[in-house]
Amino acid sequence: MRYISKRKNLRENNNCPMKANQAISANLDENLRELKERLEGCSDAVLKEFNFGRDFKKRALLIYFDGLVDRKELEEHLLKPIMLEVNMLQDFVLDQDNLAIIKENILSLADLKMLESIDELCHHINSGDTVLLIDGSSKGLVAGTRLWQGRPVQTPENEVVIFGPKEGFSETLRFNTALLRRRIKSSSLKMESFVLGRITRTDVVLCYIEGIAPPALVEEIKQRLEKIDIDAVLDSNYITELIVDYKKTLFSQVEHTEKPDHVCGQLLEGRVSIMVDGSPMALILPVSFPQFWISPEDYYTHYYAASLFRILRFLAFWVALLLPSLYVAVISYHHEMIPTDLLLTIAATHRGVPFPAFVEALIMETTFEMLREAGLRLPRAVGPAVSIVGALIIGDAAVRAGLVSTPMVVVVAFTGIASFISPSYSAGMIIRIARFAFLFSSALLGFLGIMIMLLLMLSRMVSLSSFGLPYLSPLAPFDLKQITDIVVRRPWFSNTQRPYLEGMLNQQRQNRGE
Amino acid sequence: MKRLTDFQLYCMLILLVMPVAFLKAPKRLIIILYQNAWIAPLLAVVPGILIIFLYACLIKKSKNPFPLMFEEYLGKPLNKILCFFYIIVFILAASFSLRFFVDFMVTNVLPATPISILIALLLLAGLVSIKTGLTSMARIAEIIVPTGMLFTAIILLLAFNQNTDPENLLPFAYLEYQNLFVGILFASFVFGKMMPVLTFAYFLRKKEQAARIAIKALFTYILIISLTVVAVIMLFGVQSSIILTFPTFIAVSIIQIGDFVQNLDIVFIGIWILGIFGTVTIPWFMACYTAQYVFGLRDYRFLAAPSSVIIGVGCILISQNLWELTRLYEQVVPMVYLAFFVFIPFLLFLIALFKPDPEIDARGNPAGNNPEEDCGQFSE
Repeated sequence: MRYISKRKNLRENNNCPMKANQAISANLDENLRELKERLEGCSDAVLKEFNFGRDFKKRALLIYFDGLVDRKELEEHLLKPIMLEVNMLQDFVLDQDNLAIIKENILSLADLKMLESIDELCHHINSGDTVLLIDGSSKGLVAGTRLWQGRPVQTPENEVVIFGPKEGFSETLRFNTALLRRRIKSSSLKMESFVLGRITRTDVVLCYIEGIAPPALVEEIKQRLEKIDIDAVLDSNYITELIVDYKKTLFSQVEHTEKPDHVCGQLLEGRVSIMVDGSPMALILPVSFPQFWISPEDYYTHYYAASLFRILRFLAFWVALLLPSLYVAVISYHHEMIPTDLLLTIAATHRGVPFPAFVEALIMETTFEMLREAGLRLPRAVGPAVSIVGALIIGDAAVRAGLVSTPMVVVVAFTGIASFISPSYSAGMIIRIARFAFLFSSALLGFLGIMIMLLLMLSRMVSLSSFGLPYLSPLAPFDLKQITDIVVRRPWFSNTQRPYLEGMLNQQRQNRGE
Repeated sequence: MKRLTDFQLYCMLILLVMPVAFLKAPKRLIIILYQNAWIAPLLAVVPGILIIFLYACLIKKSKNPFPLMFEEYLGKPLNKILCFFYIIVFILAASFSLRFFVDFMVTNVLPATPISILIALLLLAGLVSIKTGLTSMARIAEIIVPTGMLFTAIILLLAFNQNTDPENLLPFAYLEYQNLFVGILFASFVFGKMMPVLTFAYFLRKKEQAARIAIKALFTYILIISLTVVAVIMLFGVQSSIILTFPTFIAVSIIQIGDFVQNLDIVFIGIWILGIFGTVTIPWFMACYTAQYVFGLRDYRFLAAPSSVIIGVGCILISQNLWELTRLYEQVVPMVYLAFFVFIPFLLFLIALFKPDPEIDARGNPAGNNPEEDCGQFSE
């Protein structure tokens, strides 16, 4: 009970700055008082009172946040028409329903709508809209005047491709949705809006293609989004951790991408995407682990080449995950596997190295991870220089000083390269963390330790699902038809069906090619 | 409740019969039948099909999966007592397979490692798997089995490519009928280990498919064991094969590729661990599942932890050394498996013969009986 009462207090405290939803009053002074109270301390809030109509009898209030609105549009298409053109209307007309008349006859803005509550009003002005209140009317008029400085559409830095579109998402939600709409010019592409975050009131959009995406899946995601009760949503990952099936696991159950073409491709396969205002990362769900190894670029290159690259990527996955631990296992436990000549070479390089293979690998792997992190955070001008210093000079110095052996440097370097082959950064992170677990297990029991760790990892992975999709599908449960488009890239002429998703409405992608 | 696919059941059946037999059966069969040892697995098709037919009839005639199945023939009190013994047998089967593997590891690969460490680690992996449920176990099986099959095929191919002598297989069919009978018996008792099909069949979309799947598993087993026996005889000859403790293992270890890749035994063991994991986990799951019925529990998952202790202790106490274990495998285990996995089901089969078929609905399930509800009682 004590726990429950604490939770209750916490909730009350959280709600403290928020006011109950209040209707817009017909009395402008009351509204002004309420808004001033709510916007106290917001130096960027503009509350402009003005008079209009014949003899300037009518009072109005314009509310917006400076820096979020298009001032030119506001002045040209909102203020000017009201202050000048309304004067031409007869008084008896204005006495009826001011806002409706202004909306329908005076303003030339395209995006106009009515609102009734102060909360709605606050949300809109926070989003960059301008709200007009008129004395005597218990409604407000929202004008879409959003314009702020944002990053333009650029090439995504984390998902570089050679072939195919190079546009990437930015932090502005509407730009991002437009990038999707430009590619899928169909009214079946649905974009449902949500506002999440008690304080941030972040706009979130759920995208899917009606008629392809499983309705149950869409409904389930909507419900999960509606259940989110958090003060702030600053990035898409806030949502990820709140809606996934299994929260306490290393394995990512959604895919993050900056590429609109990738999102479109996935939407066309019946998946759903979530985009968050302020984040250039779109979420794709449901997702299975093998999908992390598929690059959108595969579909823009010849299928033979793409298939070869996919096989290489799967190979690189195993190298990135297991190579250091296999090396430690072979060196520490199973040297009989190494041919004599090679064994002698390795032994010669090991002479004088004070650490066992495991400690060597641990030091090198940790150093490599540090260098990688440093390389990400360092200013661009010095980043490459530090990487070169780290990789070449420190590595070389460590070998010369006899702290690590040369084969270990080769193994760690090769592992590092292999771990960059993953098209998905999320999958890369999984491997980076799991690699250390495998390293410890190989140090303990050699090959047996690796296999037991593999079993534990496998047990965990098969028990996971991403919104009902088994995490290792189509490998487990095995589906031969679908796995052929995972291991290799199936050519478009034989890719007649979409990958199966439970409840998918239309699996047919194209008629069988002639 | 999620269902099993046909392929998942096939893989689980393979895991039940194959891994231990792959290492143990060739030597025992060569001791009994010398150069004609490979004939026994081929002729074991007949008893194998009979055992599967027995299970298929029980599945067809019964509304409920094992252990509830036996209640239809024996009544509740008697069935509960019998199932209690089945729990012990399943635990023994898991303990035996685990101990066999661990002893093999300690003898051949990690001589300085205490067996308790290896047992604990493998039990940990099994525990995680059982905790996640039957669906997850089945999914692991369908990853393990194709991997294992692929490696087995490569190993057999490479073994045949070494210094093999086909003359070691001669003279052909020079054998005594009594020995042939014992050999067939030895090659076929493992089919009794397929008994969990009496439970798993009810998780399939159509339970009648279970027999067809079991037949496929039977032929896979026969093909692989026969080829392994032939490879071992061709590589070492009869006398050397009898002397070697694990001729299959030695056959792997002598494989050389391009004078560079050598001593692949550790790779074989690595893959074999996966198979043993399945061989241990499935009877362990059956023990927990049966215990859920016997003790009227709502779920079996929480039994995984206490039963792991029992299996671990049983595994250590089951024998003093590998020699004792081998004797157990050759003399006691076949009898226990035949009694519990063949003879008792056979008696029930006789009772079932006089029982009318339950009405069948469109999905192949007994009318008025929803297997999802029935299985849901013992949720996967």
